[in-house]
Amino acid sequence: MSADLQNRAVQAIELAKGAGAAEAWATASQGRNVEFEYRDGALEKVKDTTSRSLNINVYAGGRYSSHQTTDLNPERLKGFVAEAVAITRALEPDEHRLITPAELFNGRPTVDLDLVDAAVAGITREQRLAWCEELDKVATAHERVISATAGIYDGTSNSASASSNGFTGTHAETYCWYGTNITLMDQGDKRASDGYYVGGQHVASLPAATGVAQTGLERALNRLGTEKGPTIKTSMIVDAQAAGSLVGRLLGPANARRVHQGQSFWADLVGKQAFSEKLTISDDPLIPRGFGSRLFDGEGISAKYLPIVENGVVRNLYVDTYHGRKAGMAPTTGSASNRVIAPGKLSLDGLLKEVGNGVYVTSWLGGNADQTTGDFSLGLRGHMIENGEIGRPVGEMNVTGNLRDLFSQLELVGSDVYQYSSTLTPSLVFGGVDFSGA
Amino acid sequence: MTIKRREFLGHMAAGSAILTMPAFLQGCGVQTATAVSSATPENPFMTWFGVDQATTARVMSELTASGADTADLYFQHTRSNSLTLEDGIVSAANSSIEQGVGLRVVVGEQTGYAFTEDLTMPSMLAAARTASAIASGSGEVAPQSFNPLGAGNLYQTSVPWSDVGIDQKLPVLKFVEEKAKSMDPSIDKVAVYWADADERVMIATLDGHLVTDHRPMTRVTVVVTARKGDELQTGYSNIAAREEFGWYTEERLTTMVKEAVDRTMIQFEARRPPAGEMPVILASGASGILLHEAIGHGMEADFNRKGTSIYSDMIGKKVAEPFVTVVDQATIPRERGALNYDDEGNKAGRTVMVENGILKSYLHDKISAKQYGLQPTGSGRRQSYKYSPMPRMSCTFMEDGPHTKDEIIAAVDHGIICETYTNGQVQIGAGDYTFYVKNGWLVENGKVTAPIKDVNIIGNGPESLKRITMVANDARLDTGGWTCGKNGQSVPVSQGIPTVLVSKMTVGGENVS
Repeated sequence: MSADLQNRAVQAIELAKGAGAAEAWATASQGRNVEFEYRDGALEKVKDTTSRSLNINVYAGGRYSSHQTTDLNPERLKGFVAEAVAITRALEPDEHRLITPAELFNGRPTVDLDLVDAAVAGITREQRLAWCEELDKVATAHERVISATAGIYDGTSNSASASSNGFTGTHAETYCWYGTNITLMDQGDKRASDGYYVGGQHVASLPAATGVAQTGLERALNRLGTEKGPTIKTSMIVDAQAAGSLVGRLLGPANARRVHQGQSFWADLVGKQAFSEKLTISDDPLIPRGFGSRLFDGEGISAKYLPIVENGVVRNLYVDTYHGRKAGMAPTTGSASNRVIAPGKLSLDGLLKEVGNGVYVTSWLGGNADQTTGDFSLGLRGHMIENGEIGRPVGEMNVTGNLRDLFSQLELVGSDVYQYSSTLTPSLVFGGVDFSGA
Repeated sequence: MTIKRREFLGHMAAGSAILTMPAFLQGCGVQTATAVSSATPENPFMTWFGVDQATTARVMSELTASGADTADLYFQHTRSNSLTLEDGIVSAANSSIEQGVGLRVVVGEQTGYAFTEDLTMPSMLAAARTASAIASGSGEVAPQSFNPLGAGNLYQTSVPWSDVGIDQKLPVLKFVEEKAKSMDPSIDKVAVYWADADERVMIATLDGHLVTDHRPMTRVTVVVTARKGDELQTGYSNIAAREEFGWYTEERLTTMVKEAVDRTMIQFEARRPPAGEMPVILASGASGILLHEAIGHGMEADFNRKGTSIYSDMIGKKVAEPFVTVVDQATIPRERGALNYDDEGNKAGRTVMVENGILKSYLHDKISAKQYGLQPTGSGRRQSYKYSPMPRMSCTFMEDGPHTKDEIIAAVDHGIICETYTNGQVQIGAGDYTFYVKNGWLVENGKVTAPIKDVNIIGNGPESLKRITMVANDARLDTGGWTCGKNGQSVPVSQGIPTVLVSKMTVGGENVS
C-alpha cells in the first residue's frame, strides 16, 4: 500500500519536473471508510467506500501553486500536472514561496505512534450490527425516547509524500468510532436531544457500547426541562468536552499567517504574560495513539514538542515556512498536532465545590470570535451551579467577552481530561463572565 | 482550524446544523476536458464521463439486483480554481478536480451507498454490489435506457470557467485590492480570494430518467485590516453566484469593497450592547439567516419523518402573523442556491413553508415524500458523489409585508438592528437557534444611534416566528457566499428577507449594573 502510494507521489513529481517545475511536492492518499447507521431497531444506512486523491504543490519561476485531483487516469493526470505548472507560471513571482528547506526534514522521530490497528480492517458486518443493536437497546430504553440513531464509523487512511528536494514519508492510521444521538419528548412541541460518541485507532481500547449509549441517554435526559437562564455576571465552568472548542477558538489566530496579515490578537504576545498563570498549552505530536499524532507535518517539518503558553506566558506560535519567512519568524509548524492543556488537581466535583454558584457549560450553540480583537460571543447549553452542585438545565443563553481577557480570568483547571479529541483539555473555570439570558 | 472527520463525528451535537460565511474559502473552479470514451457516446455528458446507455444500464442492474424502491447513479465532475492575493501580489493558486460516481439504493427507509473515482466498468460494478448489500430481496428490473430530461436554463453561461485564463482574473483581484486601499488611509492589509467552479452532474435514476446539469459557481471575497494607532480591526465582504466572468463589473466589485471597508472602519467606534432580552430589528437581505435557522432546518422532512424536529406535529397550524410567508425556492436564476434539478434528479421548484402565518409544507427528498405520500419538493441535495442526498434548503426568503423600514425603527424604544452576519446554528429538537452579528446598531427611542459589533443572538424557532410583529416591504436576497452544513455535508445556499421586527430575542452583550 504505502509503496504504491509512494510511487504515485514520486511519479507526480517527475511529471511536474518534466513539465518545467523547478521543485514539486506530492502526496498520494487512499482511504477506506465504512459507516453503519441504525435507527429505532433497524439498519438505516450502510456506506462503504474507497477513495483516493493526489495533491501536488508546484514551484516554478519563483511562483507557487497547489492542486488536487481524484482522476488518476495516467493520460489525464499528465495533462493535469502540465496544466498545474502552466497555472503556476501565470502567477506573480514571490521571493518567499520556496519549497520546505531540506534541513527541516532532519531529526525525524522514530518512535512508534501506534496509530494502526490491524483489527479495524477485519471488522465484520456482524460486529457492526452487534454494536448497533447494543447501542440501540440501551439508547431507546426510556419512555420519552422519540428516536435514537446509533452510528459506527470505521476505516483506514494511508498517505505517502515525496518532494523534489529529498523528502519521503508515509502516514497510516486506522479509526473506529461509535455512539448514539437520542431525541426525547420534552414539554409541548420541544424535543430534548444529545448524544455521545467514543473512538480511537484501536478497537480493543474502546469502552463497551452499552456504557457509551448509557452516557448518551443520560446526556439527553439532562436536557429535559431546559429553560432560559438568567442575564448575570458570574463564574463559568466549561466541561472538558466543551472546553476543546473554546481552546480551539483561543488558538485559532495563534499563527504566523494571521499575525502577518494583521488578523491576530496574539501579534505582540510572545514572551509576555498574556494569560492567567493557570494556563499552560503545548503542541505535542508524539503522543502514542494521539488523534493529532504525527512524525512530520504537512510541509515535511520533523515533529517536535512545542510549548505554546507556559503559566500564562506565550512561548511560541504556529509558524509555517512561507509566512514565517515573510514575518521574520523561525518555522515551528504551520498546523496543530495534539494541543495539550496542562491539567490541574481537582475533579469536576471539586471544581463545582470551589465555584459554589455560577454556570456549568456542557455544549456550545453557534457564536463566533473576531480573531483580530479576540472579541467573542457564544450560545451555550448547560446547568446552573447552585451551592456547589449541578442544578437546573439552562439554555438559550449567550456568553460574551474577549478571549484574551477570558483566559486571563482562568481561575482553576480540572483533572478530568476529555480523551476523544486532539485537543486534550480538562474542565476550565473562569471568573466574572458576562451571560445574557432572560 | 481543521477538525478531522473522525473527530467531527465525536464532537457533533445531536441534531444540529450550521450555516457559515467563511472568510477563507475552499476552492471552486476549472481546466481541461476529461474522459474520452471508447464506448459509443449518446449524450455530451455521457461522453464527458466516458459511459453510454448500455454501461449505465448494466451498473443500475447490478445496483438493484437485490431489490430497490429508489436507486440512482450520480456522476459528477467538478473543476475548481482559486487565487489568493496577499501583500499586493497574487502568489498562490489552487486547482482541483473532483470526479466520481455515487451509487445509491433505497429500500423502504434503508439506504445503501458506495462511490468510486475510477469510472471503469469493473470498479463501478464492484461499488454497485457493495451498495446493494443493504437489500436482501429479489431483483428490480432496471431500465434498459435512460430518457434525457430537458436541460434547465437557470444559469446558462456563454463562456465556461474552463475558458477563462488566469490572465483575465488577475486584474480583478488587483482592482479589488487597489480600490480597498484607496478608500481609507488607515487600511493596512488587503487580501483578496477568488474562486470559480464548473460542476457537471449526470443522474441516472431507477425510473429511467437521465438528468444532466452544468452548474457554474464563483465567489470573490475581500478581507481588510485597518490600523489606528495600536488598534487593529478586520472586516470582510464577499459576493457569490452561479455566474460567469462578465458578472464582475467594476460597479459590483466596488460595492463589495465599500461594504468591507465600511464594516471595518465602523468597528473602531462600535461597542457591545447591553446583555439580555430586547426587541431586535433584522435589516433586509442577509438577515434571512433567521429563516434558515429558526424554521428552515426544522422543516427539512428527514427530521420530521423521524419525529425529531420541533415542527414535527405543526403542519396546518398557525405559527406566525398572517403577514408572514416563508418560501424555499431553487428556481431563482443565477443565485448561489439555485438548482435546475436536485441531486436525486427531481425538478427543483418552489416550496411555501409558511403561507400567511400557517405552516404548509416540509422540504422533501424521495425517501420522506414516499413516507408522507407526497411528491418530492426537489429538495434532495448532496455535497458531492461521496454522499447520499437528504432534504436541504436552496434559496430561503420571506415575502414582503405591510410595514415600512421607517415604521419598524420608529416602533422600537430600546433594541438593536442587525446588518451583517458570519454564521448561525440550530438545535433541531429544542428549536433553539443562534446567529452571530458582526455589525449592527443600537436603536433608542425610535432612532438608530451607536454602532455595535460581535454579539451572538439566541432564540427559539417557533417562539421567534410568533414574535415577528412587523414585516416591511423591502425584501431582497443577500448576495453573499453562504454555505450550509448538515450531517457533515456542505451545500451552497442563498437567503433573504425584508426588514423585520422580532419583539424579543436574547442578545449577547455586557452586563450593565
